Amino acid sequence: MTRDELQEKILTILEKDFEFDHPGLDENLRDEHGFDSIDAIELLAKIEKIIGFSIAREEKEKAMSIGTLNDILDYIEALISARKS
Amino acid sequence: MAGKQTEAPSATLFGRMYAFTATIMLWAYFTVGFVVFFLIFYLAAWLFARDREVSFQRLNSRFYRGFIRLVRIIIPRHDWQIDDTIRHIRSSVIVCNHVSYLDPLILISLFDRHKTIVKSSFFHIPIFGWFLKTAGYLPSTAETPFSQMMIDQIEKMDDYLAAGGNLFIFPEGTRSRNGKIGTFNKGAFKIARLCKAPIKVVRICNSDKLYTPGKFLFNTGTRNTITVMLTGQIDPDYGQNPPAASELELQVRRILTAAGCETNLQNVL
Repeated sequence: MTRDELQEKILTILEKDFEFDHPGLDENLRDEHGFDSIDAIELLAKIEKIIGFSIAREEKEKAMSIGTLNDILDYIEALISARKS
Repeated sequence: MAGKQTEAPSATLFGRMYAFTATIMLWAYFTVGFVVFFLIFYLAAWLFARDREVSFQRLNSRFYRGFIRLVRIIIPRHDWQIDDTIRHIRSSVIVCNHVSYLDPLILISLFDRHKTIVKSSFFHIPIFGWFLKTAGYLPSTAETPFSQMMIDQIEKMDDYLAAGGNLFIFPEGTRSRNGKIGTFNKGAFKIARLCKAPIKVVRICNSDKLYTPGKFLFNTGTRNTITVMLTGQIDPDYGQNPPAASELELQVRRILTAAGCETNLQNVL
């Protein structure tokens, strides 16, 4: 899955499920849209469905500090590349 | 009209001494009473219980039930009207206004199976923090070192609620100093949505007149009625288009704001 495809999927989730209004790639989701740890945990469950495997506890902990849409995409790409290697 | 006014007992020397004695007795229950009457049961639960979390929640509920009972005995000028239906709530996210430190104690005393969100700094307090963690309470933040605890608790919340447990939350996060409903944190509504749980709206009134924010002494002299009422419930349709957290927040705000403090309860505890 390309980064653009991932971006499209995550944007759909953020806009549809979290009702964020067109979040920018580097916009601080916490400050601008009220993204919090509960959102992060909900998002992790959705990311697991997208990537097709479970995320380890330690990896989930890292997601708690996610701030922007780019951070989310970096996080998912890191998960996928770690899985491949 | 030249009616004779009687001074409230709390304003007299005797009244102040009574308030001081009552306050000391209640603090003694928290400290000595805990060690003498409850510690052994907590230790037994820690060592032998099949599910420590459940056992600690039940013990906490009994401990605070004892506290409320003691308050009612030694401070009889405060009348209590607690809606009996609240005690029967199960599998719900309970959202409540917050006016006094007593509010969480009241709610804990009403539910054997309960969880709540606690200020993260409390988890750092030796022993007390361990009790909070063992009872499965949630930290208010997910920053290190609380992220794993938060993830574990939120991921288990679905099963916990399905098994009949309640999660009660004060969405204002802090006590209201003027009785008005303050700004809400959306956490409660996000959890309800995530777990597809019904929301029960509870309103507590006048507990701040018994234990006023900023005061050390319990107010033993004023006649007062503390009410705990189920003022509404929301059973959202979590099907195709589940309501947004902000929509749930708005509904709860409407219910809480519309609810007054007067009661017409048929069954009170």
